[in-house]
Amino acid sequence: MTTAAQHEHDTPQAFEPFGPRARGFLLRAGWIRATWCTALFFLVGMFIVVGSRAIFDMHPVYNWTIITLTGALTMAPLGFLTGIGAFDYWFYWISGRPTREEDHSGHGAKAWPDYFRINTDHKVIGVQYTVTTFFFFVIGGLMAMLFRAELAQPGLQFFSSQTFNGLVSMHAVLMIFLFIIPAFAGLANFVVPLMLGAPDMAFPRLNALSFWLLPIAGVMFMSSFLAPGGPFAAGWTGYAPLSVDSPVGSMFFNMGVQWAGASSILTALNFLVTIITMRAPGMTFWRMPLLVWANFTTSLLVVIATPFIAGSQFFVMFDRVLHTSFFVPAHGGYVLGYQHIFWFYSHPAVYIMMLPGFGIVSEVVSTMSRKPIFGYRLMALSFIGILILGFSVWAHHMFVAGMADWLRVPMMISTLLIAVPTGIKVFSWLATLWEGKIRLTTPMLWALGFISMFVIGGLSGIFLGSVPIDIHASDTYFIVAHIHYVLFGGSVFTIFAGVYYWFPKVTGRMYNERLGQLHFWLTFVSFNVTFFPMHYIGLRGMPRRVFDYSNQFGSLNMIISVASFVLGVSTVIFFYNMITSWTRGPIASSNPWGAHTLEWQVSSPPPIFNFDEIPVVVGGPYEYGVPGARHAILHSAPAAEEVHA
Amino acid sequence: MSAHAEAHGHAGEHHGPPTANRSSRIDATTLGMLLFIGSEAMLFGSFFAAYFFVRVVNPIAPAHWPPAPFHFPIFVAGVNTVILVTSSFTMHWALQSIKRGDRAGLKAGLVSTIALGLAFLLTQGIEYAHVGFNPGDGAFASAFFGLTGLHGAHVLIGLTLLTIAAVRAFRGHYTPEHHHGVELPGIYWHFVDVMWIVVYVTVYLL
Ligand code: HEM
Ligand SMILES: [Cu+2]
Repeated sequence: MTTAAQHEHDTPQAFEPFGPRARGFLLRAGWIRATWCTALFFLVGMFIVVGSRAIFDMHPVYNWTIITLTGALTMAPLGFLTGIGAFDYWFYWISGRPTREEDHSGHGAKAWPDYFRINTDHKVIGVQYTVTTFFFFVIGGLMAMLFRAELAQPGLQFFSSQTFNGLVSMHAVLMIFLFIIPAFAGLANFVVPLMLGAPDMAFPRLNALSFWLLPIAGVMFMSSFLAPGGPFAAGWTGYAPLSVDSPVGSMFFNMGVQWAGASSILTALNFLVTIITMRAPGMTFWRMPLLVWANFTTSLLVVIATPFIAGSQFFVMFDRVLHTSFFVPAHGGYVLGYQHIFWFYSHPAVYIMMLPGFGIVSEVVSTMSRKPIFGYRLMALSFIGILILGFSVWAHHMFVAGMADWLRVPMMISTLLIAVPTGIKVFSWLATLWEGKIRLTTPMLWALGFISMFVIGGLSGIFLGSVPIDIHASDTYFIVAHIHYVLFGGSVFTIFAGVYYWFPKVTGRMYNERLGQLHFWLTFVSFNVTFFPMHYIGLRGMPRRVFDYSNQFGSLNMIISVASFVLGVSTVIFFYNMITSWTRGPIASSNPWGAHTLEWQVSSPPPIFNFDEIPVVVGGPYEYGVPGARHAILHSAPAAEEVHA
Repeated sequence: MSAHAEAHGHAGEHHGPPTANRSSRIDATTLGMLLFIGSEAMLFGSFFAAYFFVRVVNPIAPAHWPPAPFHFPIFVAGVNTVILVTSSFTMHWALQSIKRGDRAGLKAGLVSTIALGLAFLLTQGIEYAHVGFNPGDGAFASAFFGLTGLHGAHVLIGLTLLTIAAVRAFRGHYTPEHHHGVELPGIYWHFVDVMWIVVYVTVYLL
């Protein structure tokens, strides 16, 4: 693994003082090289298929679709990464030439074009991640509005049923794999090294690679609209055998998940190593901010669980391309195997999509109510509890799938058990708020909105965890309501909380508070109008993922669709606020919220290497209102403000 | 430790980053490799899960493994097992050599490990060609080619890492103090080896 060896200085005495050689514009790392490398690797990929078929005495050009897809989905992305420069240092290293001293030329951004190239600065990467993920949030949101238009009335209005299924699937996939999961990774990328008192992540080049894998996945998912037979349309869960037999568009899903998964695994690995090996002196595990705890446990989930979705998609692809029969019952395959393997990742994945949000909310709630987190250690331990229990509940997604009966009750019990650590968190936030000096700033509104909405989503989860209720509610709009209360009211609200909370730190400017509040209230109301009625129509029997429905649900669906458009409009306020505040908002001070954690003790935006000297941590991160308490001592930081209570 | 942490504040316009605190005795790159291996082990886990579903859970699972008239070349794969286990020893030899400063031993160890790895892959290729069934011949074949193929791909990755280490070894890198570039591919290689033993036992022997 090249990652492991990237910082080695085997022969420290020999280095080239001049850094990389100057090259012509075709060879210089960047978008031009990325373009022709992508094309070249695409051709090489096609050639590999044709060539290996020729070697094995098969007709070399039997199926153009498979040939072009292999080139496009496996090799072309590698070409892109090579061209953009993700591997340059490693290629140099592999060639065995003398070790080069790090000159930090790829670190930090001086102007906006620096955000469009390989950059090793965790702060730049954090911004790259966040902006990219919001781009996909917009696309995913537009798709939702399209199919909500279709669903406003019973019957088929605008699309074919296949396109409808494609839109629904694409919406979920973009939101999950290209928005929620990586948006958290982006925020954490910016914040975690600062919170730890580290100058960067442990493996900065790997960090850059992880980011650049992400747009590849996004573009791959979306380009399935161009595939013959239309986009993948088997839902974000891609159940076999449907996904095996559907048009080739579903291969874009199979492979896109691999690139997105590789991106998450590499980032998670980087977080874990950073958190374990690069904490500032005095920063014990019990003094880490809860956001760091959250990302620590999330990263463990990612590293352990993500390979399972990779496996499940490999099997589907093998069944299609190599004619294996993992999920073909007629040849001895086991269809339910797909669901087991898929959910063994995807249930932990719902915590991958929630734990970082728990971390963000803990920061915001404690800072904005000027009180220490209630039961800090229990908060940290409940992360671990969720991490472990999260692996024991996957089959609650399969209660009606025909799996072994004896599995149901154990899965129901563990599902109800996992509500305990989750409940601990909710009660701890409430106790933290209790008698606090609460400041209803925008991030705090999102945090409070999150807590209330997440409780509703958790309760519907408990309903669904009980086998008898689930049998009735499974595959109806009740599930859609549950998903959106936990993922939108849950995860997305916390992402907004985080973006507003760290906006002054990241950009050095303050967002517009009035627009922020307007954004919150508009979203909060339209969110509830959109998703709350889904509980009802679901329990009354409206199936999810179907373009048509019985007339009795007509008026409610109309209301839902209208509200969903308001929800879409509310994000316009958000983007307007972000863009105008970033360009000409008032200059923010280094610590506008008076927070104690380390990222607020440096200037806004933080200096290029975060700290002039590594700070020394002397106390817990949330000692608000505790006389004489300090979290850390900074020596000569540019904006060394006294840590105040 | 990060690259930035290692800049020694040399003269120049770059004002380098502060040296990161080392909060754990374990070396960052080694930890990264171990976590990566953990993730790889889970990928194998998903393939073993598929195998388990096909062979055990499935109500129509074949009574015999593999179902008649097919059989797995237990002997050839056994020879291959010996080859791979031997290569773990040569790998160990390479690492011990550089720790003693014996560069010739390092090179010889790496080259023989690579040669053994290639021999393994070649044998596996021949085995595939003569095994008498192909991936389309039923779920047992899917599980067989899935697990052995996944493992073969990992041998290939391991060989790539070892080749890089060898290139660098021949170009004069690595000293008794600095030899992560040998140690880490070594750890990976041992993992690939252990995984093979598990695959061999579950797929061929059980
Ligand atoms: C108290 C905690 C929770 C419980 C007990 C719970 C329980 C369940 C159950 C039993 C189902 C399966 C319903 C069915 O398909 O029949 C389900 C579906 C789902 N849950 Fe939860 N859940 C909880 C929290 C969460 C959280 C925190 C998230 C994500 C942030 C989440 C995301 C989802 C998603 C995405 C699905 C639908 C999967 C699909 O498309 O079929 N859940 N939940
Ligand atoms: Cu679940």
